[in-house]
Amino acid sequence: MPDLPAQPDGAPTIHTVEFRGRGGEYFRIWIVNIALSVLTLGIYTAWAKVRTQRYFYGNTYLAGHSFEYHASAWRILIGRAIALTLFLGYSLSVVFVPLTFGIWFLILGAALPWLANTSTRFGARNTSWRNVRFNFNATYFETFIAYVVWSVAALAFFPLIPYARRVHDYFYINHHRFGGRGFETAFAARRIYFIYLFGFILIVVLLLAVIAIAGAAVEIATHVHNVFGRFSIPLGPENFSLIVLVLFGIGTAFVASFVTTLVTNLSVSNATLEGGFKLSSKASGLRVAWIVVTNALLTLATLGLFYPFGRVRLARYRMRKYALIASGNLDDFTSEALEAQSAIGQEIAGFFDLGFGL
Amino acid sequence: MSWTIEGRYFYPGAARHVPARASAEPKRILRVADEEGHTLAEAPARRVKVTSRLARLMRRFDLPDGSRFETDDNDGADALLRALRKRRRGRFTDRLERAWPAVGVSLIVSLLFGYYIVVQAVPLAAEWLALKALPTVGHAMTEQTLLTLDRFALTPTQLAPADQAKAAALFHRVAAHARGAASGYRLIFRGGGRIGPNAFGLPDGTIVMTDPLWALVKNDAEIEGVFAHEMSHVDHAHQLQRIFEASLIPATIAIFTGDMSQMSQISAILPGIVVQSAYSRGFEQQADDDGAATLRRMGEKPSHMADLLERMDKKLCGKNGCPPSWIGDHPDTAARAARLRAEDKGPITPGEDCLRPWKSGISLRCLGWD
Repeated sequence: MPDLPAQPDGAPTIHTVEFRGRGGEYFRIWIVNIALSVLTLGIYTAWAKVRTQRYFYGNTYLAGHSFEYHASAWRILIGRAIALTLFLGYSLSVVFVPLTFGIWFLILGAALPWLANTSTRFGARNTSWRNVRFNFNATYFETFIAYVVWSVAALAFFPLIPYARRVHDYFYINHHRFGGRGFETAFAARRIYFIYLFGFILIVVLLLAVIAIAGAAVEIATHVHNVFGRFSIPLGPENFSLIVLVLFGIGTAFVASFVTTLVTNLSVSNATLEGGFKLSSKASGLRVAWIVVTNALLTLATLGLFYPFGRVRLARYRMRKYALIASGNLDDFTSEALEAQSAIGQEIAGFFDLGFGL
Repeated sequence: MSWTIEGRYFYPGAARHVPARASAEPKRILRVADEEGHTLAEAPARRVKVTSRLARLMRRFDLPDGSRFETDDNDGADALLRALRKRRRGRFTDRLERAWPAVGVSLIVSLLFGYYIVVQAVPLAAEWLALKALPTVGHAMTEQTLLTLDRFALTPTQLAPADQAKAAALFHRVAAHARGAASGYRLIFRGGGRIGPNAFGLPDGTIVMTDPLWALVKNDAEIEGVFAHEMSHVDHAHQLQRIFEASLIPATIAIFTGDMSQMSQISAILPGIVVQSAYSRGFEQQADDDGAATLRRMGEKPSHMADLLERMDKKLCGKNGCPPSWIGDHPDTAARAARLRAEDKGPITPGEDCLRPWKSGISLRCLGWD
């Protein structure tokens, strides 16, 4: 795609995002990554991560230029080693001396804002587009408010969840920078409440439907067994909760993807970048949820082998729906001077499975 | 020799760029020039950072002044690096990723590893952890479980004191022949509530028997078999093992595939359940075998347990018994009963061991298909 400059008369140019990865290609990278990780007893996972990230960033094109992931595998490896040591210390001490859980809980709570900050900053600074790097800057206190205070408030009082989500998205987007210019997003709280309310209604309907279906399935199976004796559908009454669990799990994932997509649309489509740039995200919630759930089922049916194809399939659709609306000149960006920074925070955060991001 | 490739040049730290050519000059110098041939930048090859080759990704040459040359001509970039006598990092991995035989070998390695994790590493690790953790967490877990069960599923016992005393006497007789110390087990009584005729062992050695189960018993050896079975669950810390297994499998998947997204979470649900139920079928079988052994030591026949099992099944599901279940956590009742009856003649060896299929072969039954 040729690089289109902004129109001189001030009409904005719309640059769409495109993912050019291919399932077969990523499959080979993925399977080699796993095999090498296994053969090196997990040490290669750091390189595997870098290659995977590079593949996805490097195949994501905006206005004819791909993104790029720069993190060094050695740094990630050191971070992982520290994270693993901490994690083993945590697991073993909790197993053998359950009382230490309280101490770990406090340490983790206090370290959480730092982890979130380091991890997000590491991700941002190691991402570039057109030779210009992203950046993320937030103080411990700001992160503490956005992640800890609001999470606790939302847990204590559920109706605050959508509001807390908005606080989090504001925090995440508004502290990101590209080429020394800030991102900023703002939207009315009622819009996010509307999305969550819709999701909540869907979940309730889903739960009722799943219970009815599971009840009917068990009833039919038992009836068939009593009438036909030897020939029977292998579903016993003890499978009831299992059927509910499986169906509800799949349904919840569907609703969660749906809600997440709509919230991301909202946060991203209201975001601007200084210098006359607007972002846009127009993915269909139903479509993303459908892709996520069918990917999961196909992954299941193929003992995991579909996984890389599914990931590429999702990226292809998702990226196509992002766009940059440029009134300013894309040539004007220049990198900020950034000091080097370690991956330790990010890897510790990753190990304890704390997802930071949109 | 001079080698030239086409690409584009980005000014230091900037998004502004022009079409450019990179060439290898004498003395291992990399030169980037614009279309008219004017030099844009020059640097000794050893000070240029080059990204390693990965699929069809752009190759990037980062120059020491913060400027950059990039090209989509990967073969050209490799030739240029050769001309500059610069090491091409990551070349081995890239070759593996592009060669189908290497991909095939990787696939086999990964599948074998996955199989090893599921059938050997996880059960072993879970068993070790469970037996180590049992003394510290066993009692607290039991109290929690009982509290929950009493609240939602069980009712207070209605069993006459004479029956309770008789059950307790049989229980102590079994405990004396079981593996754990006699003082390690404790029998408590509950009404059936939603659970119906059943008995279960809790981590600290507490064994719960429901009233409707006692009502089904026609012969002392039957209930002794049940006690022996539950004591085996306690001895092996089966409940704790299940908890560790449940967290070990997703953790391993996450580490080696490097991903724990929503997609992988959903696709882990069902295999998780299948694997878990295969493990618990293994546990049930182990408990049945141990129970049979205890009964034989007491001079009783394990087939009495089979009689009680079948009666429980009819009580729950009607005259044909319960339908066989693909993914239930107990093996099919008919198969269990047949195995227990075979135990009358002595221990079954070699047993079909669901936990260690490399000893007895992979059985579909262990995976849940009869």
